[in-house]
Parts: sequence; C-alpha cells; structure tokens
Amino acid sequence: DDHQLSVEDLELKYQTNVTKVRGMNSTVAGEILLRDGPNELKPPKGTPEYVKFARQLAGGLQCLMWVAAAICLIAFGIQCGQGDLTSADNLYLAIALIAVVVVTGCFGYYQEFKSTNIIASFKNLVPQQATVIRDGDKFQINANQLVVGDLVEIKGGDRVPADIRIITAQGCKVDNSSLTGESEPQTRAPECTHESPLETRNIAFFSTMCLEGTATGIIVNTGDRTIIGRIASLASGVENEKTPIAIEIEHFVDIIAGLAIFFGGTFFIVAMVIGYPFLKAMVFFMAIVVAYVPEGLLATVTVCLSLTAKRLARKNCVVKNLEAVETLGSTSVICSDKTGTLTQNRMTVSHLWFDNQIHTADTTEDQSGQSFDQSSETWRALCKIVSLCNRAFFKSGQDNVPVPKRIVIGDASETALLKFSEITLGNVMEYRERYKKACEIPFNSTNKFQLSIHELEDPRDPRYLLVMKGAPERILERCATIMIKGQELPLDEQWKEAFQTAYMDLGGLGERVLGFCHLYLDPGQFPRGFAFDTEDMNFPTSGLCFAGLISMIDPPRATVPDAVMKCRTAGIRVIMVTGDHPITAKAIAASVGIISEGSETVEDIAARMRIPVEQVNKREARACVVNGGQLKDMETEELVEILKMHPEMVFARTSPQQKLIIVESCQKLGAIVAVTGDGVNDSPALKKADIGVAMGIAGSDAAKNAADMILLDDNFASIVTGVEQGRLIFDNLKKSIAYTLTKNIPELTPYLIYITVSVPLPLGCITILFIELCTDIFPSVSLAYEKAESDIMHLKPRNPRRDRLVNEALAVYSYFQIGAIQSFAGFTDYFTAMAQEGWFPLLCVGLRAQWENDHLQDLQDSYGQEWTFGQRLYQEYTCYTVFFISIEMCQISDVLIRKTRRLSVFQQGFFRNKILVIAIVFQLCLGCFLCYCPGMPNIFNFMPIRFQWWLVPLPYGILIFVYDEIRKLGVRRHPGSWWDKELYY
Amino acid sequence: AGLILLFYLILYMFLAGMFSFCIYGLLLTLSPYTPTYRDRVSPPGVMIRPYLHGFTIAFNVSEPSTWTPYVNSMHHFLQAYDDNIQEEKNIECPAGQYFVQDGAESKEKKACQFKRSQLQNCSGIEDPTFGYSTGQPCILLKMNRIIGYRPGYGTPVSVNCAIQKGNESALKSVDFYPGNGTFDLMYYPYYGKLTHVNYTSPLVALHFTDVKKNDFVPIQCRLNGEGIVNNVTNDRFLGRIIFTLSIGM
Repeated sequence: DDHQLSVEDLELKYQTNVTKVRGMNSTVAGEILLRDGPNELKPPKGTPEYVKFARQLAGGLQCLMWVAAAICLIAFGIQCGQGDLTSADNLYLAIALIAVVVVTGCFGYYQEFKSTNIIASFKNLVPQQATVIRDGDKFQINANQLVVGDLVEIKGGDRVPADIRIITAQGCKVDNSSLTGESEPQTRAPECTHESPLETRNIAFFSTMCLEGTATGIIVNTGDRTIIGRIASLASGVENEKTPIAIEIEHFVDIIAGLAIFFGGTFFIVAMVIGYPFLKAMVFFMAIVVAYVPEGLLATVTVCLSLTAKRLARKNCVVKNLEAVETLGSTSVICSDKTGTLTQNRMTVSHLWFDNQIHTADTTEDQSGQSFDQSSETWRALCKIVSLCNRAFFKSGQDNVPVPKRIVIGDASETALLKFSEITLGNVMEYRERYKKACEIPFNSTNKFQLSIHELEDPRDPRYLLVMKGAPERILERCATIMIKGQELPLDEQWKEAFQTAYMDLGGLGERVLGFCHLYLDPGQFPRGFAFDTEDMNFPTSGLCFAGLISMIDPPRATVPDAVMKCRTAGIRVIMVTGDHPITAKAIAASVGIISEGSETVEDIAARMRIPVEQVNKREARACVVNGGQLKDMETEELVEILKMHPEMVFARTSPQQKLIIVESCQKLGAIVAVTGDGVNDSPALKKADIGVAMGIAGSDAAKNAADMILLDDNFASIVTGVEQGRLIFDNLKKSIAYTLTKNIPELTPYLIYITVSVPLPLGCITILFIELCTDIFPSVSLAYEKAESDIMHLKPRNPRRDRLVNEALAVYSYFQIGAIQSFAGFTDYFTAMAQEGWFPLLCVGLRAQWENDHLQDLQDSYGQEWTFGQRLYQEYTCYTVFFISIEMCQISDVLIRKTRRLSVFQQGFFRNKILVIAIVFQLCLGCFLCYCPGMPNIFNFMPIRFQWWLVPLPYGILIFVYDEIRKLGVRRHPGSWWDKELYY
Repeated sequence: AGLILLFYLILYMFLAGMFSFCIYGLLLTLSPYTPTYRDRVSPPGVMIRPYLHGFTIAFNVSEPSTWTPYVNSMHHFLQAYDDNIQEEKNIECPAGQYFVQDGAESKEKKACQFKRSQLQNCSGIEDPTFGYSTGQPCILLKMNRIIGYRPGYGTPVSVNCAIQKGNESALKSVDFYPGNGTFDLMYYPYYGKLTHVNYTSPLVALHFTDVKKNDFVPIQCRLNGEGIVNNVTNDRFLGRIIFTLSIGM
C-alpha cells in the first residue's frame, strides 16, 4: 500500500529524504542491504548435481541390473568360498553389468548437463547499473546494491531497477507488457490513481522498461519481494509435470521389469524343481534378467531425443528438457500469448479511411505486402498531415537500417505513423524541414488532439497550414468539410454516417483509430511571421477539413495465420490467452485464424439475430471471448464446460493466476497443453503446462527458466516445426523400441532351452551385452533419422491414454513373431555349428551336465572323438558367436522392416535413410571385428567362425522381410480389419 | 481370440517346419563317418585312469578301503583289453607304422590288438591291486581319439612325467609300459565309432615306483611328439595332464 502513502509518510517509513533530494544515508543503506540482501531475483533452487547423477543410476531397469550384478557377485563369492577358482565368469559379468549401468548413467547425466548449460548461456552476465541519490550526491551503482528507501532516477531506455514509488515524473512511460501483457506503454505519474498497486500509475515495476521521459522515485520493494519476484516464486511453487514421454517410458520400463522378474522367477522355480542347486538357479535367474532387459534402450531413447533436439535447435527451437521434444508432438492444446508471439509487438498502421473507402496498409514485417491506391488527392493531403503532425523522430545514424527496424523516439502510435509515412512518402525528416513548423500543441488527455501549424514549402504561397490529429469523434466535431477525391465537400449527415460506419468498423477490428484534418489559414488574417499563441489559441480550431482516419494495430506476424492453420489441420487447438483488451484480442484472434472465418461468439449471434444475449443457444457459438473479470467469477467446472463447448477460445485481460487456472482446466479435459509466453507473468503457466515455450528475444529470464523450450526467433510458426518433429520422433521411437525389443526373445530363448532341454549353452551373457550395447545401438538410433511415413501434420494428436509408445501389438509382434523367427534362426545356426564340429542335434539334448563337467576331459562326440573341457569351452564360444551372428543378420532384416509401420519399404525408399545404411555397414564391421580380432576368445568369448555360418540365418532374414511386407500389405489393404487390429503397432 | 490363436498356430507350425527342413538339410550334408571339421578337437587331449571324481589320487596303503575303488575302476576299464577279447576281435598289426585302411568310407574298419598283458607290471594280472597295496600305484594314460589323426607324423608320441611344481626329489622314478611309454603308430589313425567298432585306445601305464609318501605330490605328464601341443595355459589337459598323488603309509 506504499502507493497510497504521502511522500512524507514514505520518508518516515524508509528513513530517506526526498524533499531536499538528499536520498538515503549510505551507512543506513549498507545496513539495510545486509538485512534484505541484494536486489536481485534468487535463481530457482536447482537439484544438487550428485542427486541428478544418482537419479540416473537408480531407474527401474538400472535397479534390475544392480540386482543381477549383485547375484553375480554373490555367486562368485560362494564359488570362491567353496574353493572353486576355475571360472571368474560371474565376476566379469558383475563388473560388466555395473559398468553398463554406470556408463549409461554418465551418458544420461552428460545429456542433462549439456541441456542445462544451454540455458546458463542465456543469462545476462552484464550487471545492470542504476542512478541513485545518496547523501545528496548522484551515483551510478550496480542495481543489485539498491535497498528500499533509495531515491533513484530513471529515464527512457532504462530498465526499472526495483519497485519504485514515483515522486516526480516528466512524460514517463513504461512498458509493462512483460508483467501484464499489455502492449501499450503506460504513463507513470506521482498521483495514486487506483487502489490496486498493479493498476495505479505511481508505481513502476522492477524489470519493466522505461520507454520515454524521466522520473525519480523511492524504492519500496527489492529483490524477491518485488511484484515480479513474487510471480517468479509463484512459478517455483508449481510442480513440474511429468512429460508424456517420461510417463510412456516409465510405463514401459515397469512392464519390462515386471516381465523380466516374472520370467526369471518362473525359470528359477522350474530350475529348482528340475533339481538344479540353488546357486545355479540364482545364476539362471540373473542370466534371464540380463537377457530380457533391453540394456541399450534408455541410451537409444536419449540419443534419439537429443538428435531431434539438435535438429530443432537448428530451426530456432532450443529444448531445455530432452523429453519436451516429444511432448510438443503430443500437444493437443496450445495456449498462446498474444503480444510478441502471435503479433509483432509493434504498433503499425493497418487501415486508412479516406474518399469514403477503407484502404488496407501493408502490415507485414518486411513490407512485402500489397499497398493501396495512392493516386488520390485526399491521400496526398492525409499523408501531409500524418507526416507533419507528428513529434516522433528517428534516432540519427540509421539510414542503412530498414525502416521497420529503426529506433524511434516517441510513443507507439506516433512511431507507427512516422514509419508509415517514411515508407510511403520517403524521407520524412527532410519533408518536415521543408514545411517549417510555426507552432504546435502536443497531445493531452483533455484536448485529445494534437495540432501544429506549418509554413508551406512553396515560398510564393504565403498561407499557413494547420494540421491536426486526435480521437476521431473530437476531430469530426471540429470539421466543417470533408475531402473526397481532392474536393472539399460540406460535411453533411450522410458523410457523418459514413464516418461513423468506418469508425465502428475499424474499432471493431480492435484497432486504435485516429482522425486527421487540416486547414489552410487565410493569408490575410495570418500573414507570414504571425505570432501564434498556443495558450490562447489565436487561430481557428474548428471548421476544419476532415481528411481521413488511420487505424493502427500490433499486427500479427506474417507466418502466424499459416501456422495456426497447420495446428488446426494437425488437430491442435490454439487458445489465445492475453492481458490485452477483449476487442483487440478478438480482432487479432480472428486475423490469425484462432477464431476462424464464419465462427461467431454468443454476442455476435445476438447482434446478428437482434435478440438478447441470454436467448442465444450457446452451443451454436463456436467462438468465445472470455475476459478476466468473467473468469474471476467462474467456478473451475464452469470453465471446463466452456472450454468443452466452444472450440475457439480467446481469454483477454487475464492475470497470471488465471492463466494458471486456464492451463489446469485444459489439462483436466485430458489435453496435453503447451503454453507460450514471454513475460514474467507467464512463468507460472509455463511451468504448469506440459510444455512451456518461452520466447528467446522478448522473453524474460523468469519465463525462460520456467519453460521447457525456447523459441530463438520468437516465432509461433517454429512451434509447428516443433510439433512436427515431436510427432516424428514419437513414431520413430516406436520403431526404434520395436527394433530393440525384438532381439530380447532370441536372447532369452537360449536360456530357456538350456535350462529345460539341457543343451550346451547357445548364447552367453557377455555376448548378450555386446548385442545390446555395441552392435545394435547404432541401427536403433539410425531409425530416428527415418522420414515420416505419411503427412503426420494431418493426423490428430495422439491420445495419451490410448496411443501408447509401447502398446500390446508392438510387444506381441516383436516378441512372438519377429523375435520367434530370430530364435529359430539362432538355433538353426547353433545346431549347424555343433553338428559340423561333431555334435549332432540329438546328442546335444541332455548333454549339459557332462558338457559342463570340467573333470570330464574325454567326452565323446557323435563320431567317437574325445574332447577336453577346454576344447568344449571353445566350441561353446563358437556357438555363442554363431548365435550372435544369427541375431545380427536377422536384426539387419529387422531394422529394414522397422523403417515403416504401414508403408512398404520400397515405397519408403530403401536407401533414403543414409544413416541407416551406414549403421548396417557399421554393424557388420563390428560383428566381423568381434569375431575375427585376435585375443577375443579369451576376453569376450568370441570365436572366429566359418563363413557359411554367416549364411545360415539368411533364409530367416529373408522370411522376416517378406513376412513383414505381407503384414504391411494386409494392413494397407484392409484398414480396420482383424489383421490391422492385431498386427499394426 | 480364437482367430489369433489359429494364426499363431499356423505361424509356429510354419516356423517349426522351416526349422525342421533346415536341420534336415543340414543332416543331409553331414557324413556319418567323418566330421565336417576337426579343428576344435585337435591336437589331442589326455586323460588318465583310474578316474573317480577328480585328479587327486589319494589313498592309504594300510587301509584297503581307500584304494579298492581305484583298483576296481582299473579292472573295469581294462576288461576290454583282456588278451582273449583282443585276440578274438582284433588283428595283429605290424608295429611302427600307421595302420591305414583304404576302401569305402562305410566299410567296417579293423582294429589293432592292444593286449592288457603289454602293460606288464600294471596289467593287473600278476598284481591285481596295480601296486596300490604296496604304495607303488599304476596310472593309465590315454590320448583322446580324433578321427584321422596321425600323432607324431611318423614318430611315435612318447610320455614323460615330472613334478608340476615343488620339490623335484618327491618323484624319484617312474616306469613306463609298454615300450618306454610310447603310443605305437599302428593304433592310428582312428576311423570313428561307426566303422571302427572294436577300436581300443592305446594306453601308456605309469608305474610310480618311488613317490614321496604322506604328501601331496603334483605330477604333470606330457605327450611329446610333433604336432602335439602341451603348453596351453587355458587348457591344462591338452597334450598333458596334471594330477596329484597322495599315498599314505
């Protein structure tokens, strides 16, 4: 309530001196600084680094791996205790498992660390300076040293250093758009005009910009106690929602972990029943867990997401949180801020009315649009008024800068008019010099007009020209004639009505309208050198000639309507949430397509049918504009109801708290909500949203901190790119996961057969880890580069409850069909390798106990040859390698079929995805390296294998390919059929 | 649901069929007489008898119950080598050269006689306890069979034994039968169990006549000959064998 206190009370309250302009005592200021802390926003508390790292090590799958490693260690310990030192396999495996967890953990941590660093680079490191008066002297000090009670000066171009109660002001205007969303500059003056501190004119807020004028004031709040600081802390109180992809992955990890334990447990019991010793059964359990858990999956997902994040960064979307990439893809509602996101955040002349006709000006950012007909005499007159009756001017030295980008000193409307005339007329500064100004009356709120009197360019013409602009109705009052096609016609009722219609039309567009008129003064009455007196107004201010109306608006960005349209076709609802006036908001919403053509609000229908608003059937209205006042009286259910009823919504005059409520209501409807915003006022909603999108240029630090994603070019259209990429990555992750899951079955079946049929082990744990973490990683990542199969931007956003990342069809198809084929391939190759070395398939059955007896040094094979244990072990490694190669060969086929889920691979293009081709080659090279690198047998249990064993799995690989093509053909030909339901994932 | 079960039934039947077909095709390519590859099984490994449950032969001379299992095992193993059985089933071959039998692969192959009596003191004929009752145990050494393998490439493979590690004096003397501990060339090559039905692996008997008593004596016996590998660290039974004698008095 500091704004309601008198200056004297304030002096007393804050022990300062304003009247004598002495400011505070610097020692007192020092004490207060110690008490209150520096004047800056405390950064939100981050999670400590070690907690972040620990989190990476303690995921669902990781825990399972820890358990497996522990079992290995226990098994090794018991073996040691029994004095059996022959094999350290269990120890190796434990070390390998721990290494896998730690390495993938480090990798995840690094990814997170990197994305955090992107944000750190945004922080402005240059300390802000402020002019403060202490002990009667002016100082420039760092703004963070300011304390309550300090007397500070601000001027145009400064950032307000704290919440300031204005004491004196000269034409001071501030931009509160980051706080309230209002794009119009607000006047600041010493008088208290409103009981709410947010509305009153005598408080300037921390971090807002002072646009023009000067002011002095007392600091009443610093740091986190400022209005901005309080909003920022509101944001930090909002819980971070889990991203949909995180939920998906968790859901899927739960299933995997559950199944792994189920399988492991079942076979543990089976093994115990069959009569294996407890320790052996435990090791089986561990091996099944290792075989079944897709160790490389989380790394794959992370890499896929970060690849997309990188791709997005090139398109000006910087992603802070990797998972946010996909969230954008599943977004079904975008709550967009208006100012700066949908609009250009600068006033621009949009319409003109002269010659009884509305002309449209070019409002595009780069002035590429169509211009109107400029041949009329009236236009020339109007243009003259616009150029002359204007106090704004360009900052010097900007001749090479394109006009829309030049910096102008002056208020927003005058800036707009200046730029408009500069573009249409040419050099305005020089033009003004030719028409020397004799006198001028600036705009004030009582007159509501601005006037100036100029000499004419032609020295032989002694007349003066009076030009005037202002509120249209006031201007019209002063006019007696109207200029139509260069002719001055009397302003009769007919013309007045024409004026009214035009004024209403333009006002209805949410535009700010100004009227323009002029008068050539009688040279007899006002000869050259006449002393004009602005106080007495010794010149006519009525009976003028009306030239036209010009309306201005903060125009939408050129790319936005298209982007909104794309969102619409992509099934995404765009809701505008702004602090601006309802009429302006509605007009912008209509012009960018948020309210589509032909959609009406309840009020529109009422006006059209000439019935009271209450009688209108609300369901008929597609569009709805709700303002903050209405919102305040609404229950949450009511809001949800409204959101359900009207597909096209605009919220105007909303407060930060209300934005939060709107986002929550959308989420209650089951929508995945993206919120865009730039101001501090947006940060709570940004945080609450499933994905917060902040603006990189206009955005405040608080908004960027709260957001998950930052648009570097502040362009709404970039969001559409983000949505597209997000959807693509969802599809591609699905393919990637399907690919990764498939091989778990051929990894698992060897153990099941080993335990139940007692054949020599076909595939070892270490080999499984190599498949998971070495050879198959690159191909699964390469699927992230796959092009979309169809126009994903014409589909509805996925239903987070129904369209899961990993659904039943995907798992079943991967596991029990493709996985099964791969298992058969592996066993075929296994039996081939065994038989060709002397062990016929039937002999292998039941051989396990003898095979693994390390005392049995003369075990006979099918031919009667005798094998030592060491020889058998190498033979076993050969089998591992053969099985490994079989899985690899089938996985090559698998990655090819995973390129598409519906289309034929031939339609998608076999070699279109270059990365995938490289990945396959890489996979083969890696396989060769593992097989044929010397030393491998004793380190990683890989043996050099014969060439034909590479070929044995080929028929199965071809089968996989052909089978999947048949599946896809069926899915394409018979959508909705039984086949489609069961086999489309 | 029924439809999907039927679908899976057909799919798996098809897969099983394809698998069987592949295995059938594989078996067609295999010869029943000679393995496709023999690289994993050669060079040969070595095994000893008696073999009960490990490579430690521990007994106490004064307690027959500690060594009778070994003796029984030896007798059981040597049954096939009884002179009359050998004479009845196998032929006498010229010593000192490989017994190569040409002709069809499927033709039954003859085997050369290896008579138990050739083991002399370790034959168990004169001393049915194979020296265990006197603290001078016999151990039989056997080279693993490999089809077509010709050990020594013309020179018979011989056996020598030494203390694996520790005091050399613990093993003072070993006698080898037959003939200084060599595997005669006539027993090779081996033609596989299908055609070489009555084949009996040649043996070398090690008679440990003077071993340190009441101690664990680790002994390593190696094959020596061309093409024999006996120093691989990973496989301690390749071309050599390590066992421990512990003879209590």
